[in-house]
Amino acid sequence: MFLAIRELIHAKFRYVLIGFIMVLVASLIFIISGLAKGLSADNASAIQNLETDYIVVDAEAESDITKSFIDREKLDEIEQISGVEKANTLSIRMMNASVNGTEQNEDVALFVTEADGMLIPSITEGNSITQDNEVIADSMLKREGLKLGDTLKFGDESEYTIAGFADKQRYSHTSVLYMEASGRDRINAVTIQANPGKIDEIKNGIGNDFDILTAEEALQGIPSYSSEQASLNMMIVFLFVIAAFVLAAFFYVITLQKRDQFGVLKALGAKTIYLVKSLLGQVVLISVICIAIAVGLTMGIKALLPADMPFLLEVSGLIQTSLLVLTVSVIGALISLVQVVNIDPVEAIEGAGK
Amino acid sequence: MTLVMENVSKVYSDGPKEFKALDDVSLELQKGEFVAIIGPSGSGKSTMLSIAGALLSPTSGTVFLDGENTAHLSKRKITEKRLEKIGFVFQAANLIPYLKVRDQLRVINVIAKNKANSKGRELLEHFGLTHRTNNYPNELSGGERQRVAIARALINDPKIILADEPTASLDSQRGREVVELLADEIKSRGKSGLMVTHDERVLDLCDRVVTIRDGRLEE
Repeated sequence: MFLAIRELIHAKFRYVLIGFIMVLVASLIFIISGLAKGLSADNASAIQNLETDYIVVDAEAESDITKSFIDREKLDEIEQISGVEKANTLSIRMMNASVNGTEQNEDVALFVTEADGMLIPSITEGNSITQDNEVIADSMLKREGLKLGDTLKFGDESEYTIAGFADKQRYSHTSVLYMEASGRDRINAVTIQANPGKIDEIKNGIGNDFDILTAEEALQGIPSYSSEQASLNMMIVFLFVIAAFVLAAFFYVITLQKRDQFGVLKALGAKTIYLVKSLLGQVVLISVICIAIAVGLTMGIKALLPADMPFLLEVSGLIQTSLLVLTVSVIGALISLVQVVNIDPVEAIEGAGK
Repeated sequence: MTLVMENVSKVYSDGPKEFKALDDVSLELQKGEFVAIIGPSGSGKSTMLSIAGALLSPTSGTVFLDGENTAHLSKRKITEKRLEKIGFVFQAANLIPYLKVRDQLRVINVIAKNKANSKGRELLEHFGLTHRTNNYPNELSGGERQRVAIARALINDPKIILADEPTASLDSQRGREVVELLADEIKSRGKSGLMVTHDERVLDLCDRVVTIRDGRLEE
């Protein structure tokens, strides 16, 4: 690092310039990742957090729970199949609820299931549902002014009271309400907890008219989910490629300018590995500093974003993305390393070895 | 004998054509001896210096550095030998632009993993460069740069000093001073020196002058 650090200090201006570009690209990667995670959660956290191993839908629904229709009797049939440990029904309805009989309306997604079943989420405020006319609401609704005991009315149906709130319950960018399923004959899906080793047996037992989805497959089945994620992920991939090429071009040109010095150093007895380490040291040092600044910048931007903006930054994701940026930078520097390896020390003596 | 070249030839082939840069050259350098190689451009001076400095390997013939035959050494070992046995003074000094004068010498210790070597300060003082230790090469005069280059060549206490046109970028007076310094150091420290030059005014400072013409040596 003797040479690496001294050169960085001496040629600060050019390294600050490239650092600036890296900070911006890395920040953009972090922000778009945060947005992708945030939108993903906003679209499907209720499905992501669903306490189930598999979801049975009808085969014609193409993995979209809301398009699937199953007769209620199927639940009893499925419960009998060996390997199925627990089973509950799930129906999803997109509804509009009027609050407390006032003008206030909220779009909600009704998750209709058995009140004593496994799908009921853990409550963060209030109580779970015990009666047919109670619901558990996503805590995001508190931002809209809803509180425990408020009543909700869906069209002409009877009134429901909010008995409790649960965190991270969003579906299709709407808050979810959980309610009791009794008295409903048509259901969307049956969720099961089962031993993964027996999945083939269960498949045979259920028959060909039904598909068994994992939670991940059910996510992809939400109509807007995969297109939303795909476009954001494409941006992130492009940013990684841009970062790699910008760094590759920068270090290529810089190394080209330093050919003579590398020749002299090799002639003086510097081993190629020493020079390679020196260059890699520079790349890693610049990248780490830039990533750190970018993380700070992203945190700052996050603080400025409105609270209901779907933006999710988790430490694990941040570390993962940071490591990826670092790896991409090092990959970008590889062609310069090839140059360094290929420089012949005889170049230090003018007119020789031509 | 610190440097021995025995029947050394170097042939470059360019497609079907062959070009003999060095043709059966032999040279021996004694301890304390300072030898100049002169010759027209393209005569093979630089090739000879590069082979003497183990930067090029000869097509045929043998080179002994401090008694050791370099033909059987791996590239890695040759690099180590260069670091240990040879000090280079390049044309136009070829200092590293982003290192201060002090670090120009320290970098050799870093490469050689010999950080305890404290001769740098002494050398700079000896060469009258103490007031320049914190300057970058672009802040030095041509003569000062060449003095730093000589100090750099000496810091690792090598047996052989090889100089490639050390006066090329200097006026005649400065050039002469630099070669005088080089000759002094080689004598007083018991090194062997080999210098390629086209500057005939400094030849009187050398013990021996060999002329190279079309790859052949004439004494």
